[in-house]
Amino acid sequence: MALSKDELKAAILEKALNAPKPQLYVKDFYACDPDAKPREVKNAANDLVKEGKMDFWSSGSTTMYAAKGRAKDEEHR
Amino acid sequence: MPKHDTPLLDELEKGPWPSFVTDLKRQAEKKPECFDILGQLELSFKDRITHWKHGGIVGVFGYGGGIVGRYSDVPDQFPGVAHFHTVRLNQPSSKFYSSAKLRDICNLWEKYGSGMTNMHGSTGDLVLLGTTTPNLEPLFYELTHDLNQDLGGSGSNLRTPECCLGRARCEWGCYDTQALCHHLTMHYQDEIHRPAFPYKFKFKFSGCPNDCVAAIARSDFAVIGTWRDDIRIDQAAVKGYISGEFIPNAGAHSGKDWGKFDIKKEVLDLCPTECMWMEGDTLKIDNSECTRCMHCINVMPRALRPGLKQGATICVGAKAPILDGAQFATMTIPFIDVNPETEFEEVIEVIEKIWDWWMEVGKNRERVGETIMRVGLPTFLKVMEVTPVPQHIKEPRSNPYVFWQEDEVEGGFERDVKEFRKRNAQ
Ligand code: HEM
Ligand code: HEM
Ligand code: SF4
Ligand code: SF4
Repeated sequence: MALSKDELKAAILEKALNAPKPQLYVKDFYACDPDAKPREVKNAANDLVKEGKMDFWSSGSTTMYAAKGRAKDEEHR
Repeated sequence: MPKHDTPLLDELEKGPWPSFVTDLKRQAEKKPECFDILGQLELSFKDRITHWKHGGIVGVFGYGGGIVGRYSDVPDQFPGVAHFHTVRLNQPSSKFYSSAKLRDICNLWEKYGSGMTNMHGSTGDLVLLGTTTPNLEPLFYELTHDLNQDLGGSGSNLRTPECCLGRARCEWGCYDTQALCHHLTMHYQDEIHRPAFPYKFKFKFSGCPNDCVAAIARSDFAVIGTWRDDIRIDQAAVKGYISGEFIPNAGAHSGKDWGKFDIKKEVLDLCPTECMWMEGDTLKIDNSECTRCMHCINVMPRALRPGLKQGATICVGAKAPILDGAQFATMTIPFIDVNPETEFEEVIEVIEKIWDWWMEVGKNRERVGETIMRVGLPTFLKVMEVTPVPQHIKEPRSNPYVFWQEDEVEGGFERDVKEFRKRNAQ
Protein backbone atom coordinates (compact mmCIF):
# COMPACT_ATOMS: atom_id res chain seq x y z
CA MET A 1 0.00 0.00 0.00
CA ALA A 2 1.43 3.33 -1.03
CA LEU A 3 1.84 6.00 1.62
CA SER A 4 -0.07 9.27 1.38
CA LYS A 5 2.00 12.25 0.30
CA ASP A 6 2.22 13.56 3.87
CA GLU A 7 3.27 10.15 5.23
CA LEU A 8 5.88 9.89 2.48
CA LYS A 9 7.25 13.35 3.33
CA ALA A 10 7.42 12.44 7.02
CA ALA A 11 9.33 9.23 6.17
CA ILE A 12 11.77 11.12 3.94
CA LEU A 13 12.44 13.75 6.59
CA GLU A 14 12.91 11.07 9.23
CA LYS A 15 15.51 9.39 7.04
CA ALA A 16 17.27 12.69 6.23
CA LEU A 17 17.50 13.55 9.93
CA ASN A 18 18.79 10.17 11.07
CA ALA A 19 20.90 8.80 8.22
CA PRO A 20 24.61 8.46 9.12
CA LYS A 21 25.54 10.56 6.07
CA PRO A 22 24.15 14.12 6.11
CA GLN A 23 23.71 14.26 2.31
CA LEU A 24 21.53 11.73 0.50
CA TYR A 25 20.70 10.99 -3.11
CA VAL A 26 17.08 11.06 -4.20
CA LYS A 27 17.38 7.30 -4.77
CA ASP A 28 18.19 6.82 -1.10
CA PHE A 29 14.60 7.89 -0.37
CA TYR A 30 12.97 5.39 -2.74
CA ALA A 31 13.00 2.83 0.09
CA CYS A 32 10.77 5.13 2.17
CA ASP A 33 7.90 3.81 0.08
CA PRO A 34 8.72 0.98 -2.31
CA ASP A 35 5.27 1.33 -3.86
CA ALA A 36 5.71 5.00 -4.81
CA LYS A 37 6.93 5.97 -8.27
CA PRO A 38 10.39 7.58 -8.33
CA ARG A 39 8.82 10.83 -9.51
CA GLU A 40 6.44 10.91 -6.51
CA VAL A 41 9.40 10.48 -4.15
CA LYS A 42 11.32 13.21 -5.98
CA ASN A 43 8.34 15.58 -5.78
CA ALA A 44 7.87 14.91 -2.07
CA ALA A 45 11.57 15.56 -1.37
CA ASN A 46 11.47 18.79 -3.41
CA ASP A 47 8.38 19.89 -1.46
CA LEU A 48 10.32 19.52 1.78
CA VAL A 49 12.97 21.86 0.38
CA LYS A 50 10.26 24.39 -0.55
CA GLU A 51 8.96 24.16 3.01
CA GLY A 52 12.43 24.91 4.36
CA LYS A 53 12.84 21.51 6.07
CA MET A 54 15.56 20.24 3.75
CA ASP A 55 18.32 21.80 1.63
CA PHE A 56 19.66 20.96 -1.79
CA TRP A 57 23.37 20.29 -1.80
CA SER A 58 24.82 20.45 -5.31
CA SER A 59 28.30 19.65 -6.57
CA GLY A 60 27.40 21.42 -9.79
CA SER A 61 26.84 18.14 -11.59
CA THR A 62 24.85 16.16 -9.01
CA THR A 63 22.30 17.31 -6.48
CA MET A 64 21.76 15.73 -3.08
CA TYR A 65 19.38 16.38 -0.20
CA ALA A 66 20.09 17.14 3.45
CA ALA A 67 17.90 17.92 6.43
CA LYS A 68 18.06 21.66 7.15
CA GLY A 69 21.34 22.51 8.83
CA ARG A 70 22.99 19.12 8.29
CA ALA A 71 24.77 19.89 5.02
CA LYS A 72 28.09 21.69 5.22
CA ASP A 73 28.73 24.38 2.67
CA GLU A 74 32.08 24.12 0.87
CA GLU A 75 32.95 27.50 2.28
CA HIS A 76 33.13 25.96 5.74
CA ARG A 77 34.87 22.70 4.89
CA MET B 1 43.09 44.54 -4.10
CA PRO B 2 46.72 44.30 -5.25
CA LYS B 3 48.01 43.14 -8.58
CA HIS B 4 49.86 39.84 -8.52
CA ASP B 5 52.94 38.91 -10.52
CA THR B 6 51.86 36.47 -13.19
CA PRO B 7 54.87 35.52 -15.33
CA LEU B 8 53.34 32.18 -16.41
CA LEU B 9 49.99 33.68 -17.43
CA ASP B 10 51.75 36.52 -19.25
CA GLU B 11 53.12 33.92 -21.66
CA LEU B 12 49.53 33.37 -22.79
CA GLU B 13 49.36 36.94 -24.08
CA LYS B 14 52.20 36.45 -26.53
CA GLY B 15 50.47 34.41 -29.22
CA PRO B 16 48.69 35.86 -32.24
CA TRP B 17 45.24 34.97 -30.84
CA PRO B 18 43.04 36.96 -28.45
CA SER B 19 43.99 36.21 -24.84
CA PHE B 20 41.71 35.79 -21.86
CA VAL B 21 44.61 37.01 -19.73
CA THR B 22 44.52 40.37 -21.51
CA ASP B 23 40.74 40.48 -21.11
CA LEU B 24 41.00 39.76 -17.39
CA LYS B 25 43.66 42.43 -16.87
CA ARG B 26 41.44 44.96 -18.62
CA GLN B 27 38.40 43.94 -16.60
CA ALA B 28 40.44 44.19 -13.37
CA GLU B 29 40.70 47.97 -13.90
CA LYS B 30 36.94 48.05 -13.23
CA LYS B 31 36.56 44.97 -11.04
CA PRO B 32 39.65 44.46 -8.88
CA GLU B 33 38.60 40.90 -7.91
CA CYS B 34 39.79 39.94 -11.39
CA PHE B 35 43.37 40.47 -10.14
CA ASP B 36 42.70 37.64 -7.70
CA ILE B 37 41.45 35.36 -10.49
CA LEU B 38 44.76 35.92 -12.26
CA GLY B 39 46.69 35.44 -9.01
CA GLN B 40 44.94 32.19 -8.14
CA LEU B 41 45.32 30.81 -11.67
CA GLU B 42 49.04 31.64 -11.62
CA LEU B 43 49.31 29.72 -8.34
CA SER B 44 47.45 26.77 -9.88
CA PHE B 45 49.88 26.73 -12.81
CA LYS B 46 52.75 26.68 -10.34
CA ASP B 47 51.20 24.06 -8.03
CA ARG B 48 49.74 22.05 -10.93
CA ILE B 49 46.42 21.70 -9.16
CA THR B 50 43.19 23.66 -9.13
CA HIS B 51 42.49 25.94 -6.20
CA TRP B 52 38.72 26.01 -6.81
CA LYS B 53 36.38 24.11 -4.54
CA HIS B 54 32.96 23.55 -5.93
CA GLY B 55 29.53 22.62 -4.70
CA GLY B 56 27.46 23.53 -1.70
CA ILE B 57 24.01 24.68 -0.75
CA VAL B 58 24.06 28.05 -2.54
CA GLY B 59 21.11 28.89 -4.74
CA VAL B 60 18.06 31.08 -4.89
CA PHE B 61 14.87 30.37 -3.01
CA GLY B 62 12.61 27.80 -4.66
CA TYR B 63 15.23 26.72 -7.19
CA GLY B 64 17.47 23.69 -7.00
CA GLY B 65 19.72 24.56 -9.92
CA GLY B 66 21.11 27.30 -12.15
CA ILE B 67 23.76 28.41 -9.70
CA VAL B 68 26.97 26.49 -9.13
CA GLY B 69 28.80 27.28 -5.90
CA ARG B 70 32.52 28.01 -6.32
CA TYR B 71 34.98 28.85 -3.57
CA SER B 72 38.70 29.48 -3.40
CA ASP B 73 40.66 27.05 -1.22
CA VAL B 74 43.19 29.84 -0.58
CA PRO B 75 40.79 32.69 0.32
CA ASP B 76 43.30 34.41 2.57
CA GLN B 77 45.65 34.95 -0.35
CA PHE B 78 42.86 35.82 -2.80
CA PRO B 79 39.93 37.31 -0.89
CA GLY B 80 38.38 38.70 -4.09
CA VAL B 81 37.52 35.18 -5.20
CA ALA B 82 36.68 33.65 -1.80
CA HIS B 83 33.18 33.20 -3.27
CA PHE B 84 33.06 32.98 -7.02
CA HIS B 85 29.74 31.39 -7.93
CA THR B 86 28.69 30.66 -11.50
CA VAL B 87 25.21 31.61 -12.70
CA ARG B 88 23.60 29.89 -15.69
CA LEU B 89 20.91 31.73 -17.66
CA ASN B 90 18.55 29.89 -19.98
CA GLN B 91 19.53 31.12 -23.44
CA PRO B 92 16.77 31.88 -25.96
CA SER B 93 16.15 29.14 -28.57
CA SER B 94 18.92 29.10 -31.18
CA LYS B 95 20.62 31.87 -29.18
CA PHE B 96 18.76 34.68 -30.95
CA TYR B 97 18.58 37.89 -28.93
CA SER B 98 18.94 41.61 -29.48
CA SER B 99 22.15 43.48 -28.67
CA ALA B 100 20.01 45.51 -26.21
CA LYS B 101 19.26 42.31 -24.30
CA LEU B 102 22.95 41.39 -24.17
CA ARG B 103 23.81 44.88 -22.92
CA ASP B 104 21.19 44.59 -20.17
CA ILE B 105 22.59 41.23 -19.07
CA CYS B 106 26.15 42.59 -19.07
CA ASN B 107 25.12 45.67 -17.08
CA LEU B 108 23.30 43.53 -14.54
CA TRP B 109 26.39 41.38 -14.21
CA GLU B 110 28.67 44.42 -13.75
CA LYS B 111 26.33 45.39 -10.92
CA TYR B 112 26.15 42.04 -9.10
CA GLY B 113 29.10 40.02 -10.34
CA SER B 114 32.63 40.14 -11.73
CA GLY B 115 31.43 41.32 -15.15
CA MET B 116 33.01 38.23 -16.68
CA THR B 117 30.87 36.01 -18.88
CA ASN B 118 31.22 32.88 -20.92
CA MET B 119 28.92 33.15 -23.93
CA HIS B 120 27.96 30.59 -24.44
CA GLY B 121 29.01 27.92 -22.06
CA SER B 122 29.42 24.44 -23.46
CA THR B 123 26.07 23.73 -21.79
CA GLY B 124 24.51 26.29 -24.16
CA ASP B 125 23.53 28.67 -21.36
CA LEU B 126 24.60 32.28 -21.03
CA VAL B 127 27.15 31.79 -18.26
CA LEU B 128 27.93 34.54 -15.76
CA LEU B 129 31.15 33.91 -13.86
CA GLY B 130 31.85 35.02 -10.33
CA THR B 131 29.61 36.45 -7.64
CA THR B 132 29.10 36.17 -3.89
CA THR B 133 26.35 34.46 -1.92
CA PRO B 134 24.67 37.71 -0.71
CA ASN B 135 24.37 38.99 -4.29
CA LEU B 136 22.41 35.97 -5.56
CA GLU B 137 18.87 36.90 -4.50
CA PRO B 138 19.00 40.56 -5.68
CA LEU B 139 20.53 39.41 -8.97
CA PHE B 140 17.81 36.80 -9.41
CA TYR B 141 15.06 39.33 -8.62
CA GLU B 142 16.21 41.82 -11.26
CA LEU B 143 16.94 39.08 -13.77
CA THR B 144 13.43 37.67 -13.59
CA HIS B 145 11.47 40.90 -13.00
CA ASP B 146 13.30 43.47 -15.12
CA LEU B 147 15.04 41.36 -17.76
CA ASN B 148 12.44 38.62 -18.12
CA GLN B 149 15.19 35.98 -18.13
CA ASP B 150 15.29 32.78 -16.10
CA LEU B 151 18.03 30.56 -14.71
CA GLY B 152 19.05 27.39 -16.55
CA GLY B 153 19.61 23.88 -15.23
CA SER B 154 22.48 22.39 -13.24
CA GLY B 155 23.01 19.45 -10.87
CA SER B 156 20.68 16.48 -11.23
CA ASN B 157 18.19 18.61 -13.14
CA LEU B 158 17.04 18.57 -16.71
CA ARG B 159 19.65 20.86 -18.25
CA THR B 160 18.78 23.88 -20.34
CA PRO B 161 17.56 22.48 -23.68
CA GLU B 162 19.48 23.66 -26.75
CA CYS B 163 18.66 23.74 -30.47
CA CYS B 164 20.26 24.62 -33.81
CA LEU B 165 19.16 27.60 -35.94
CA GLY B 166 16.78 25.25 -37.67
CA ARG B 167 14.10 26.55 -39.95
CA ALA B 168 14.63 30.11 -38.76
CA ARG B 169 17.72 30.38 -40.95
CA CYS B 170 18.46 27.03 -42.49
CA GLU B 171 16.78 25.33 -45.42
CA TRP B 172 17.76 21.87 -44.18
CA GLY B 173 15.67 21.84 -41.01
CA CYS B 174 13.53 18.69 -41.17
CA TYR B 175 11.46 19.83 -38.20
CA ASP B 176 11.02 23.06 -36.27
CA THR B 177 13.82 22.75 -33.71
CA GLN B 178 12.98 26.06 -32.05
CA ALA B 179 9.33 25.14 -31.55
CA LEU B 180 10.23 21.78 -29.98
CA CYS B 181 12.99 23.27 -27.82
CA HIS B 182 10.74 26.05 -26.57
CA HIS B 183 7.79 23.77 -25.97
CA LEU B 184 9.78 21.26 -23.92
CA THR B 185 11.52 24.05 -21.99
CA MET B 186 8.11 25.34 -20.89
CA HIS B 187 6.64 21.88 -20.40
CA TYR B 188 9.47 20.76 -18.11
CA GLN B 189 10.05 23.90 -16.02
CA ASP B 190 9.89 21.89 -12.81
CA GLU B 191 12.54 19.43 -14.02
CA ILE B 192 14.80 22.30 -15.19
CA HIS B 193 14.65 24.22 -11.91
CA ARG B 194 14.65 21.37 -9.40
CA PRO B 195 16.56 18.09 -9.25
CA ALA B 196 14.58 15.22 -10.72
CA PHE B 197 16.96 12.42 -11.64
CA PRO B 198 19.84 10.18 -10.50
CA TYR B 199 22.12 12.54 -12.46
CA LYS B 200 22.04 15.22 -15.15
CA PHE B 201 19.88 14.80 -18.26
CA LYS B 202 20.28 16.80 -21.47
CA PHE B 203 18.06 17.39 -24.50
CA LYS B 204 19.50 18.77 -27.72
CA PHE B 205 17.76 19.38 -31.02
CA SER B 206 19.32 19.46 -34.50
CA GLY B 207 17.22 20.01 -37.60
CA CYS B 208 19.21 17.66 -39.84
CA PRO B 209 22.06 15.13 -39.64
CA ASN B 210 24.67 17.92 -39.92
CA ASP B 211 23.84 18.17 -36.21
CA CYS B 212 25.08 21.71 -35.62
CA VAL B 213 24.53 21.48 -31.84
CA ALA B 214 26.44 18.17 -31.70
CA ALA B 215 23.41 16.54 -30.09
CA ILE B 216 24.69 13.04 -30.83
CA ALA B 217 27.87 13.66 -28.83
CA ARG B 218 26.56 15.87 -26.06
CA SER B 219 23.06 14.89 -25.05
CA ASP B 220 21.27 12.08 -23.30
CA PHE B 221 18.35 12.68 -25.62
CA ALA B 222 19.29 13.81 -29.14
CA VAL B 223 16.55 14.66 -31.62
CA ILE B 224 18.08 14.83 -35.08
CA GLY B 225 16.03 15.76 -38.14
CA THR B 226 15.79 13.29 -41.03
CA TRP B 227 13.54 12.22 -43.90
CA ARG B 228 12.04 8.88 -44.94
CA ASP B 229 11.53 9.38 -48.67
CA ASP B 230 14.00 10.20 -51.45
CA ILE B 231 16.56 13.01 -51.65
CA ARG B 232 15.10 15.61 -54.02
CA ILE B 233 17.28 16.00 -57.11
CA ASP B 234 17.31 18.91 -59.55
CA GLN B 235 19.19 17.32 -62.48
CA ALA B 236 19.65 20.68 -64.25
CA ALA B 237 21.47 22.00 -61.18
CA VAL B 238 23.61 18.83 -61.05
CA LYS B 239 24.75 19.67 -64.58
CA GLY B 240 25.35 23.26 -63.41
CA TYR B 241 27.81 22.00 -60.77
CA ILE B 242 29.54 19.69 -63.27
CA SER B 243 29.97 22.50 -65.80
CA GLY B 244 31.32 24.87 -63.15
CA GLU B 245 28.34 27.23 -63.28
CA PHE B 246 27.71 26.73 -59.53
CA ILE B 247 30.43 26.73 -56.89
CA PRO B 248 30.43 23.51 -54.76
CA ASN B 249 29.89 23.68 -50.98
CA ALA B 250 28.34 27.11 -51.56
CA GLY B 251 31.88 28.46 -51.81
CA ALA B 252 32.93 27.30 -48.34
CA HIS B 253 36.24 25.94 -49.67
CA SER B 254 36.78 28.46 -52.47
CA GLY B 255 40.13 29.56 -51.02
CA LYS B 256 41.57 26.09 -51.72
CA ASP B 257 42.92 25.10 -55.12
CA TRP B 258 41.26 21.78 -55.73
CA GLY B 259 40.96 22.30 -59.47
CA LYS B 260 37.76 21.89 -61.43
CA PHE B 261 34.81 20.31 -59.59
CA ASP B 262 34.88 16.54 -60.07
CA ILE B 263 31.55 14.97 -59.09
CA LYS B 264 33.04 11.47 -58.97
CA LYS B 265 35.91 12.41 -56.69
CA GLU B 266 34.08 14.88 -54.48
CA VAL B 267 30.63 13.33 -54.20
CA LEU B 268 30.11 9.80 -55.60
CA ASP B 269 33.34 8.33 -54.19
CA LEU B 270 32.79 9.96 -50.79
CA CYS B 271 29.26 8.67 -50.28
CA PRO B 272 29.80 6.37 -47.27
CA THR B 273 27.32 3.77 -48.48
CA GLU B 274 28.39 3.98 -52.15
CA CYS B 275 24.79 4.43 -53.17
CA MET B 276 25.28 7.15 -55.80
CA TRP B 277 26.25 6.85 -59.46
CA MET B 278 25.96 8.64 -62.80
CA GLU B 279 24.02 7.28 -65.75
CA GLY B 280 25.32 9.48 -68.54
CA ASP B 281 24.84 12.93 -67.10
CA THR B 282 21.98 11.92 -64.82
CA LEU B 283 22.68 11.49 -61.08
CA LYS B 284 21.15 8.38 -59.51
CA ILE B 285 20.75 7.57 -55.79
CA ASP B 286 19.71 4.27 -54.27
CA ASN B 287 17.82 5.90 -51.39
CA SER B 288 17.23 2.61 -49.56
CA GLU B 289 21.01 2.47 -48.93
CA CYS B 290 21.48 6.18 -48.09
CA THR B 291 22.34 6.79 -44.42
CA ARG B 292 21.35 10.49 -44.57
CA CYS B 293 24.93 11.59 -43.96
CA MET B 294 24.25 14.95 -45.72
CA HIS B 295 27.59 14.93 -47.59
CA CYS B 296 26.16 15.13 -51.12
CA ILE B 297 23.60 17.75 -50.05
CA ASN B 298 26.29 19.87 -48.39
CA VAL B 299 28.42 19.79 -51.56
CA MET B 300 25.60 20.51 -54.01
CA PRO B 301 22.89 22.40 -52.10
CA ARG B 302 21.27 23.78 -55.25
CA ALA B 303 20.88 20.34 -56.76
CA LEU B 304 20.05 18.13 -53.76
CA ARG B 305 17.65 18.61 -50.88
CA PRO B 306 16.32 16.42 -48.07
CA GLY B 307 13.13 14.54 -48.91
CA LEU B 308 9.69 15.78 -48.00
CA LYS B 309 8.52 13.12 -45.50
CA GLN B 310 10.35 14.78 -42.65
CA GLY B 311 10.69 14.02 -38.97
CA ALA B 312 13.49 13.00 -36.65
CA THR B 313 15.66 10.17 -35.38
CA ILE B 314 16.07 9.88 -31.61
CA CYS B 315 19.46 8.85 -30.27
CA VAL B 316 19.91 8.18 -26.55
CA GLY B 317 22.82 8.20 -24.16
CA ALA B 318 25.80 10.37 -25.11
CA LYS B 319 28.16 11.49 -22.39
CA ALA B 320 31.58 13.02 -21.84
CA PRO B 321 34.34 10.96 -20.24
CA ILE B 322 33.98 10.91 -16.48
CA LEU B 323 34.52 7.36 -15.23
CA ASP B 324 34.43 5.52 -18.56
CA GLY B 325 35.32 7.03 -21.90
CA ALA B 326 33.23 9.40 -23.96
CA GLN B 327 30.28 7.84 -25.69
CA PHE B 328 28.05 8.82 -28.60
CA ALA B 329 24.29 8.46 -28.38
CA THR B 330 22.82 5.21 -29.70
CA MET B 331 20.16 5.31 -32.36
CA THR B 332 16.99 4.21 -30.61
CA ILE B 333 13.94 5.48 -32.49
CA PRO B 334 14.70 5.43 -36.22
CA PHE B 335 11.90 7.83 -37.17
CA ILE B 336 9.39 9.89 -35.24
CA ASP B 337 6.92 12.57 -36.25
CA VAL B 338 7.73 15.94 -34.70
CA ASN B 339 4.34 17.50 -34.75
CA PRO B 340 3.45 20.87 -33.16
CA GLU B 341 -0.25 20.14 -33.69
CA THR B 342 -0.18 17.32 -31.13
CA GLU B 343 2.01 19.50 -28.88
CA PHE B 344 4.80 17.02 -29.63
CA GLU B 345 3.10 14.28 -27.63
CA GLU B 346 4.93 11.55 -29.61
CA VAL B 347 8.30 12.94 -28.46
CA ILE B 348 7.09 13.51 -24.90
CA GLU B 349 5.92 9.91 -24.68
CA VAL B 350 9.42 8.68 -25.56
CA ILE B 351 11.07 11.04 -23.05
CA GLU B 352 8.87 9.92 -20.18
CA LYS B 353 9.30 6.25 -20.98
CA ILE B 354 13.07 6.75 -20.65
CA TRP B 355 12.76 8.79 -17.47
CA ASP B 356 10.41 6.37 -15.71
CA TRP B 357 12.80 3.52 -16.41
CA TRP B 358 16.08 5.35 -15.72
CA MET B 359 14.85 6.89 -12.44
CA GLU B 360 14.06 3.37 -11.27
CA VAL B 361 17.03 1.44 -12.66
CA GLY B 362 19.79 4.07 -13.02
CA LYS B 363 22.38 4.16 -10.23
CA ASN B 364 23.36 7.35 -8.44
CA ARG B 365 25.51 9.48 -10.75
CA GLU B 366 24.96 7.16 -13.70
CA ARG B 367 24.06 8.80 -17.03
CA VAL B 368 21.33 7.05 -18.99
CA GLY B 369 23.91 5.97 -21.60
CA GLU B 370 25.85 4.16 -18.88
CA THR B 371 22.67 2.49 -17.64
CA ILE B 372 22.04 1.26 -21.19
CA MET B 373 25.60 -0.09 -21.43
CA ARG B 374 25.16 -1.87 -18.11
CA VAL B 375 21.86 -3.60 -18.89
CA GLY B 376 22.52 -4.03 -22.62
CA LEU B 377 20.80 -2.53 -25.62
CA PRO B 378 18.26 -5.37 -26.06
CA THR B 379 16.91 -4.75 -22.55
CA PHE B 380 16.68 -1.04 -23.23
CA LEU B 381 14.91 -1.58 -26.56
CA LYS B 382 12.40 -3.79 -24.77
CA VAL B 383 11.73 -1.06 -22.23
CA MET B 384 11.25 1.37 -25.09
CA GLU B 385 8.99 -1.17 -26.86
CA VAL B 386 11.14 -0.87 -29.99
CA THR B 387 11.64 -3.87 -32.29
CA PRO B 388 15.34 -4.20 -33.14
CA VAL B 389 16.22 -3.40 -36.75
CA PRO B 390 19.58 -4.06 -38.46
CA GLN B 391 20.53 -0.38 -38.02
CA HIS B 392 20.63 -0.90 -34.25
CA ILE B 393 23.74 -3.04 -34.81
CA LYS B 394 27.04 -1.46 -35.74
CA GLU B 395 28.08 -4.26 -38.03
CA PRO B 396 27.25 -7.98 -38.37
CA ARG B 397 29.17 -10.53 -36.31
CA SER B 398 31.57 -8.19 -34.44
CA ASN B 399 28.92 -7.16 -31.90
CA PRO B 400 25.98 -9.51 -32.15
CA TYR B 401 24.28 -8.05 -29.10
CA VAL B 402 20.70 -8.77 -30.07
CA PHE B 403 19.98 -12.31 -28.93
CA TRP B 404 17.05 -14.68 -29.01
CA GLN B 405 14.80 -14.56 -25.99
CA GLU B 406 13.62 -17.83 -24.48
CA ASP B 407 9.99 -17.32 -25.49
CA GLU B 408 11.05 -16.83 -29.11
CA VAL B 409 12.67 -20.29 -29.24
CA GLU B 410 10.56 -23.35 -29.86
CA GLY B 411 10.63 -25.43 -26.68
CA GLY B 412 12.50 -22.74 -24.72
CA PHE B 413 16.09 -23.01 -23.46
CA GLU B 414 15.34 -26.04 -21.26
CA ARG B 415 14.10 -28.35 -23.98
CA ASP B 416 15.50 -31.85 -24.36
CA VAL B 417 18.40 -31.29 -26.74
CA LYS B 418 19.08 -35.01 -27.23
CA GLU B 419 15.50 -35.48 -28.34
CA PHE B 420 15.82 -32.53 -30.72
CA ARG B 421 19.11 -33.79 -32.19
CA LYS B 422 17.63 -37.18 -32.99
CA ARG B 423 16.23 -35.49 -36.07
CA ASN B 424 19.78 -35.19 -37.39
CA ALA B 425 20.91 -38.63 -36.38
CA GLN B 426 22.26 -40.68 -39.28
C1 HEM C 1 35.61 -26.19 -49.06
C2 HEM C 1 35.46 -26.10 -47.77
C3 HEM C 1 34.61 -25.08 -47.08
C4 HEM C 1 33.73 -24.19 -47.57
C5 HEM C 1 33.30 -23.96 -49.03
C6 HEM C 1 33.21 -23.46 -46.47
C7 HEM C 1 32.26 -22.43 -46.57
C8 HEM C 1 31.79 -21.73 -45.51
C9 HEM C 1 30.83 -20.67 -45.60
C10 HEM C 1 30.19 -20.15 -46.87
C11 HEM C 1 30.60 -20.20 -44.35
C12 HEM C 1 29.67 -19.06 -43.94
C13 HEM C 1 30.43 -17.79 -43.76
C14 HEM C 1 29.56 -16.69 -43.16
O1 HEM C 1 28.47 -16.96 -42.67
O2 HEM C 1 30.01 -15.55 -43.19
C15 HEM C 1 31.44 -20.95 -43.46
C16 HEM C 1 31.50 -20.74 -42.10
C17 HEM C 1 32.25 -21.52 -41.26
N1 HEM C 1 33.09 -22.54 -41.63
FE1 HEM C 1 33.45 -23.20 -43.43
N2 HEM C 1 33.76 -23.90 -45.33
C18 HEM C 1 34.66 -24.89 -45.67
C19 HEM C 1 35.46 -25.61 -44.83
C20 HEM C 1 35.47 -25.47 -43.44
C21 HEM C 1 36.29 -26.26 -42.53
C22 HEM C 1 37.24 -27.37 -42.99
C23 HEM C 1 36.03 -25.79 -41.26
C24 HEM C 1 36.59 -26.23 -39.92
C25 HEM C 1 37.61 -27.04 -39.73
C26 HEM C 1 35.07 -24.74 -41.40
C27 HEM C 1 34.58 -24.01 -40.31
C28 HEM C 1 33.66 -23.03 -40.45
C29 HEM C 1 33.16 -22.28 -39.33
C30 HEM C 1 33.55 -22.48 -37.86
C31 HEM C 1 32.29 -21.30 -39.83
C32 HEM C 1 31.52 -20.27 -39.06
C33 HEM C 1 32.31 -18.99 -39.13
C34 HEM C 1 31.56 -17.85 -38.53
O3 HEM C 1 30.41 -18.04 -38.11
O4 HEM C 1 32.10 -16.74 -38.52
N3 HEM C 1 34.74 -24.58 -42.73
N4 HEM C 1 32.14 -21.89 -44.17
C1 HEM D 1 39.64 -20.61 -24.19
C2 HEM D 1 39.35 -20.87 -25.41
C3 HEM D 1 38.42 -20.03 -26.26
C4 HEM D 1 37.90 -18.79 -26.06
C5 HEM D 1 38.11 -17.84 -24.88
C6 HEM D 1 37.08 -18.48 -27.19
C7 HEM D 1 36.36 -17.28 -27.34
C8 HEM D 1 35.58 -17.01 -28.42
C9 HEM D 1 34.84 -15.81 -28.59
C10 HEM D 1 34.80 -14.62 -27.61
C11 HEM D 1 34.17 -15.88 -29.76
C12 HEM D 1 33.27 -14.83 -30.38
C13 HEM D 1 31.83 -15.13 -30.02
C14 HEM D 1 30.90 -14.13 -30.64
O1 HEM D 1 31.30 -13.01 -30.95
O2 HEM D 1 29.74 -14.48 -30.80
C15 HEM D 1 34.48 -17.16 -30.35
C16 HEM D 1 33.98 -17.58 -31.52
C17 HEM D 1 34.32 -18.81 -32.08
N1 HEM D 1 35.18 -19.76 -31.56
FE1 HEM D 1 36.13 -19.65 -29.82
N2 HEM D 1 37.11 -19.51 -28.06
C18 HEM D 1 37.92 -20.48 -27.52
C19 HEM D 1 38.26 -21.69 -28.05
C20 HEM D 1 37.80 -22.14 -29.29
C21 HEM D 1 38.16 -23.42 -29.89
C22 HEM D 1 39.10 -24.44 -29.26
C23 HEM D 1 37.51 -23.47 -31.11
C24 HEM D 1 37.50 -24.54 -32.18
C25 HEM D 1 38.08 -25.71 -32.10
C26 HEM D 1 36.74 -22.25 -31.24
C27 HEM D 1 35.96 -21.97 -32.32
C28 HEM D 1 35.24 -20.82 -32.43
C29 HEM D 1 34.40 -20.54 -33.57
C30 HEM D 1 34.15 -21.44 -34.78
C31 HEM D 1 33.81 -19.28 -33.35
C32 HEM D 1 32.86 -18.56 -34.26
C33 HEM D 1 31.45 -18.91 -33.83
C34 HEM D 1 30.41 -18.16 -34.64
O3 HEM D 1 30.52 -16.92 -34.74
O4 HEM D 1 29.50 -18.79 -35.12
N3 HEM D 1 36.95 -21.49 -30.13
N4 HEM D 1 35.35 -17.81 -29.50
S1 SF4 E 1 21.65 20.99 -37.87
FE1 SF4 E 1 20.95 20.98 -40.00
S2 SF4 E 1 19.03 22.16 -39.90
FE2 SF4 E 1 20.15 22.67 -38.02
S3 SF4 E 1 21.33 24.52 -38.59
FE3 SF4 E 1 22.65 22.73 -38.90
S4 SF4 E 1 22.45 22.27 -41.09
FE4 SF4 E 1 20.69 23.55 -40.52
S1 SF4 F 1 23.30 11.69 -47.94
FE1 SF4 F 1 25.26 10.64 -47.69
S2 SF4 F 1 24.69 8.45 -47.75
FE2 SF4 F 1 22.98 9.59 -48.62
S3 SF4 F 1 23.36 9.63 -50.84
FE3 SF4 F 1 24.22 11.52 -49.99
S4 SF4 F 1 26.39 11.03 -49.61
FE4 SF4 F 1 25.31 9.07 -49.84
